[in-house]
Amino acid sequence: MTVLLATILKVVVIFGALISAAGISTLAERRVSAWIQHRIGPNRVGPFGVLQPLADGIKFIFKEEFVPEGANRWLFILAPALSAAAALMSVAVIPFGGLITEIDGTPILMSIADLDIGALWVVAIGGLGIYGVILGGWASNSKYSLFGGLRATAQMISYELSMILCILAVVAMSDTLNLREIVNLQDSADSRCFGFLPGWNIFYQPLAFVLFVICTFAETNRHPFDFAECESELVGGFHTEYSSMKFALFFIGEYCAMIVMSCMTVTLFLGGFSVPYWSEAPFLIGLASFLLKVTFFMFLFLWVRWSLPRFRYDQLMNLGWKVFLPLALVNILLTGLAVSL
Amino acid sequence: MANLLFYLMGLGAVIGSLLVVTSKNPITSVLSLLGTFFCLATIYLLAGFQFLAAAQILVYGGAIMVLFLFVVMLLNLGHPEEGSGLEFMNKRRMPFAFAASAMLIVLTFAGVLGQGSAPGAVELAHMATIGDLAGLMFGSFLLPFEAASILLMGAAVAVIVLAKRERTQAVER
Amino acid sequence: MVIIKRKQLTWMEKAYLPEVIRGLRITLGKMFQKPSTRQYPEDPLITTEVTRGQPRLVVNEDSTIRCVSCGLCEIACPAYAITIDGQETDRMIEREPEKFEIDFLRCILCGFCEEACPKEAIMMSDELELADTSRQGLIYGLDKLKRPVSALKKRIAYINKINDRWRTSSST
Repeated sequence: MTVLLATILKVVVIFGALISAAGISTLAERRVSAWIQHRIGPNRVGPFGVLQPLADGIKFIFKEEFVPEGANRWLFILAPALSAAAALMSVAVIPFGGLITEIDGTPILMSIADLDIGALWVVAIGGLGIYGVILGGWASNSKYSLFGGLRATAQMISYELSMILCILAVVAMSDTLNLREIVNLQDSADSRCFGFLPGWNIFYQPLAFVLFVICTFAETNRHPFDFAECESELVGGFHTEYSSMKFALFFIGEYCAMIVMSCMTVTLFLGGFSVPYWSEAPFLIGLASFLLKVTFFMFLFLWVRWSLPRFRYDQLMNLGWKVFLPLALVNILLTGLAVSL
Repeated sequence: MANLLFYLMGLGAVIGSLLVVTSKNPITSVLSLLGTFFCLATIYLLAGFQFLAAAQILVYGGAIMVLFLFVVMLLNLGHPEEGSGLEFMNKRRMPFAFAASAMLIVLTFAGVLGQGSAPGAVELAHMATIGDLAGLMFGSFLLPFEAASILLMGAAVAVIVLAKRERTQAVER
Repeated sequence: MVIIKRKQLTWMEKAYLPEVIRGLRITLGKMFQKPSTRQYPEDPLITTEVTRGQPRLVVNEDSTIRCVSCGLCEIACPAYAITIDGQETDRMIEREPEKFEIDFLRCILCGFCEEACPKEAIMMSDELELADTSRQGLIYGLDKLKRPVSALKKRIAYINKINDRWRTSSST
């Protein structure tokens, strides 16, 4: 009974934290863009503007709900929900921290579900978020939206391949798909790289790490690969026709996907909740280390967005199919060789 | 609880697959097919095949159906003319359809009734985890597995060749 | 026809990633520089005598108004923002405005009234803030327009300087 209660508590806390983190990310996006552009950014609502996302949310709720003429009503409403739900669901297997406590001999771990197929789950469920984009783009009955949806589709399929191959390299090394075990393997002292570096996969798989990080940018439709939105060509891409809370849901979905992808990068390549040179660190310190690493990758998302220009669409496709896929394949071949030797 | 979920998902799968063939709007068809795949994935999960469920969602849900949607949108099939989706079922084709369905039903029941009697069949319990599945795939069934992959590869190449030839003819005309 | 010679990229530039990192370094550097934004209400705009804010009526030290309600500014105003009703007075100048209204919903802050005025009676002040919740509230009457000469001294001196230069140069 208490175990069930603990699980429910974990679900509530993790989902709540994820959605709040998405809200805070929107504020961070605006503040970081302001700093990079020599501005100050929103700092009026609450101390340092921390209540700005709340104000935005209230504003979104009171905006007019609008369904364009000729739109497919049900799909138009379903799309943002799908987009947000997929991103929220994929967080379920991320191990945020180690052992919290034990109840009646049952260990309570800091992740909602400890699936054997964790790595696959994130890719499978996270990949469904694309349906929100496609359906939203198609159901809007607008050519800009349709173009955004189509571009997002082709882009997602192209980059998902390379991304899965990068994950596969890590999985082949760790011999498991369970994310917690992947983290524990990186934590153990005898996995140290060259004897002194922490046993993180980034040192064993530098190529896969770089490819994976770039693929996460393409997967979450972020700059410099944001062809689904592409303000300068497609007005707003798939969410051109959206308003009010439906628009906000798309954004929650986007930021949640970014957070989940950052979590995946940290878990797969940067030792997750482990602390370098401190095996089996206490729960809170492990959690803090995890959040710190995720924050860095979230910052990277924002930093890159406000630094780099957008690619051209054919460049994106060339990069995906002619550079990333061969590199990922070579990487997995080399990994296979190294593992079998 | 698990039984209830199983029957619910089974019902969902049946309704979804019926909607696929009867609905007028191709987009609805694609989405119902997606729903069917989800129900199937849940059933796999209930049976304890986590990997199969994830692969189902990843491959069919995440990639194949996205491609279907992509094609439907690209060809702008989303706004069909009036008419039933069952129009292709004319009298000449009906017997073949029934024969194929009957065959499928016989095969299914044969599989259900004579569990494990087919040549090379494996006990279900032996493929629950990924490790077991990998052992079967790359161990005892390596040859059929690779043969299937070569067959699929050949099919993919054949499709490209066929599509390409048609196009050059059209240009010459 | 213009033939543009594109720069040949070196191997490092074609690899793209080093250049990306270079770009990221630049933006990171910018993040820690002082922002060039002004926090407006707390940190108001710096005004000088050149600032062309809202026009105001000059009041002499003996608290009499300089305006003689000649109507030149009313005619000069391109936005028809000024309305004047004159009346007689016992003072030397014999006339003064009974009603002097500037509709700030119409005023474009061009400063033509200031140029037209023969008496240095209407001057562009450095007051820039203009917000109200009603249209009526933005039609300023005499009570809101009057400013003591000391507040507008700088502007009057500046206009005199400019006018002097203009006068000497046009003498040819």
